[in-house]
Amino acid sequence: MPHVELKNVSKRYGNVQVIDNLSLSVDEGSFTALLGPSGCGKSTMLRMIAGLEEITAGQCFIGGTDVTDVPPAKRGAAMVFQNYALYPHLTVRQNIAFSLSLAHAPKALQESRVAEVARMLQLEQLLDRRPGQLSGGQRQRVAIGRALVREPKVFLFDEPLSNLDAALRSQMRLELARLHQQVKTTMIYVTHDQIEAMTLADKIVVLDKGVIAQTGSPLELYNKPANKFVAAFIGSPAMNFVPADIASREGNAVTVVFASGNRETITARNPATADKRIEIGVRPEHLKLVASGSANAAFEGTVSIIEQLGNSTLLYVDTAAGPLVVEGEGNLKAATGDKVGLAIDTANAHLFGADGKVL
Amino acid sequence: MSSIDLSSPMAGHRKRSLFLDLGGVVLTLLTIACAAIWFFPVFWAVMTSLKTDDETVRAGFHLFPDAPTLNGYLFVLQHSDIGIWYLNSTITSVTVTVVAVFMAACAGYAISQLRFPGRRLLWWTILASFMVPGSALIVNHFIIMAGVKLLNSHLGIILPMLITPVTVIVYKQFFDSLPREFREAAVMDGAGEFQLLFRVFLPMNWGITTALAIITFIGAWNTFLWPFLAVQNEKMMTVTVGITAVQDAFGVAYARTLAGAVMAGLPVALAYLIFQRRVTQAITLSAGIKG
Repeated sequence: MPHVELKNVSKRYGNVQVIDNLSLSVDEGSFTALLGPSGCGKSTMLRMIAGLEEITAGQCFIGGTDVTDVPPAKRGAAMVFQNYALYPHLTVRQNIAFSLSLAHAPKALQESRVAEVARMLQLEQLLDRRPGQLSGGQRQRVAIGRALVREPKVFLFDEPLSNLDAALRSQMRLELARLHQQVKTTMIYVTHDQIEAMTLADKIVVLDKGVIAQTGSPLELYNKPANKFVAAFIGSPAMNFVPADIASREGNAVTVVFASGNRETITARNPATADKRIEIGVRPEHLKLVASGSANAAFEGTVSIIEQLGNSTLLYVDTAAGPLVVEGEGNLKAATGDKVGLAIDTANAHLFGADGKVL
Repeated sequence: MSSIDLSSPMAGHRKRSLFLDLGGVVLTLLTIACAAIWFFPVFWAVMTSLKTDDETVRAGFHLFPDAPTLNGYLFVLQHSDIGIWYLNSTITSVTVTVVAVFMAACAGYAISQLRFPGRRLLWWTILASFMVPGSALIVNHFIIMAGVKLLNSHLGIILPMLITPVTVIVYKQFFDSLPREFREAAVMDGAGEFQLLFRVFLPMNWGITTALAIITFIGAWNTFLWPFLAVQNEKMMTVTVGITAVQDAFGVAYARTLAGAVMAGLPVALAYLIFQRRVTQAITLSAGIKG
């Protein structure tokens, strides 16, 4: 039984449809990331689960209870906001204990719960400081502590790391992963950062314009994208897309021909399509550098830019099919202006129909 | 061998700073002159209140009293109800301050944060009422207060003075400026509207409430026209109204009249001296709205 469930949920602001008949279920104790570009409706979804946003149509369930019309405080959900929303006039201790204080919990209970949370998040030394005296990472930990102290059924995170610098973000990612292992509570995490989603979540829901583009584990989304949107959104650098025509098909094996006249045979997952004109998607690491003019080169081109990242090298190659990105080893020897051939690792290539769905 | 002339830019800089210095001196002198012009009547009133009656009518210009005396003050204290007037002023001003600021905070919060039918209409009504000068409503207030038999009472003085649209507007703008996440975080923590207002929103910036309270208190203490009309009974008069009684009762006795005036203005002057920064903040806040 799902722990958090949205059933046929829609959200409209006047004439603008933000979420359209969306259904989602989140398993108990899972870490689910809602991933998508800005304006795709992921924060709205989270806010609907939290009760901060009214649901235009549909139902929301938490722990099997219909909470569609239940006020936010009574849903058993706690939320960590993007800007932390720590009360500036209260100390860290008072911030963490705020919900308990509102509920008139006994002082001794407040103190013991605050101490427990502070120990868990290593905030003991900061309890008497105000938010203005804390660093970004510390504020983030206090915001998590404020959610943690309520012992909620569900944690909701709304882009909690987006205000932190890169180093702190990766450190906080680890801390969040550790926290999830420790408390084992259901967590729903909104982000537009695919690295956060891939590293933290055991299930990712990719959203596009208010509808779910694909749901799956991080590797499922990476290796078997359901459509071009997911294929393009997941992975950095992004997948290369090259237009091609279907020359022939035999079972799942589809032979495509590129504008250059080169042919490749790629195994499709759903080969049934009326489209003749399709697109091939290849991740940068699935393009291999071969000698220019080589028989197995699908494309010929010139290296225009080289990015050496240490553990890998990115080559931007101008080809007749358009610019393509190739990821090679860190010690790859290449120079701008080199004429190169690019071979496709067909086992890892994807075919997309005209409607963007994977073939 | 070519030489680099370092003197000319330095000379230019010196000339510029000399000009700035001169401008600064002129501005400072002008400010001092303005302050002196503004302050002179206050100074003159205090000095006159320390003179004898003969000295006040003596020909010629005498800045300081020959032998300072507190007779004027003693006379006012002994021969008038100034103690009661002080008490009346304190009761009315403190009540007006507490009630008006509380109501304005609640109204500003409701208009800014709550969604209810007629919210916009209410907001525009408050904005419109801000454009009506208080003195234009004074006849209405008098008729209403007479109708409910509240003339010559503290409540009669207080009620019409509770209309403070500027305070509502300042609060509304402040609440509008707060990120919505504060409200949402508190709502998720289980806060109701009153807890949100009094435990989250107002404590976030007590400065605004302090500033508005001070300026409301000063305004209420200094008000003359409405208490003058609302009260005929000498025992119910406020200080500002009572002072006119001093003048009427004592005839041409400048030392006593001005001693009364100094005593009337003293609490406000003290409030200003203590809370100078807050008063300036309040004036800036309300001036921003008026501008």
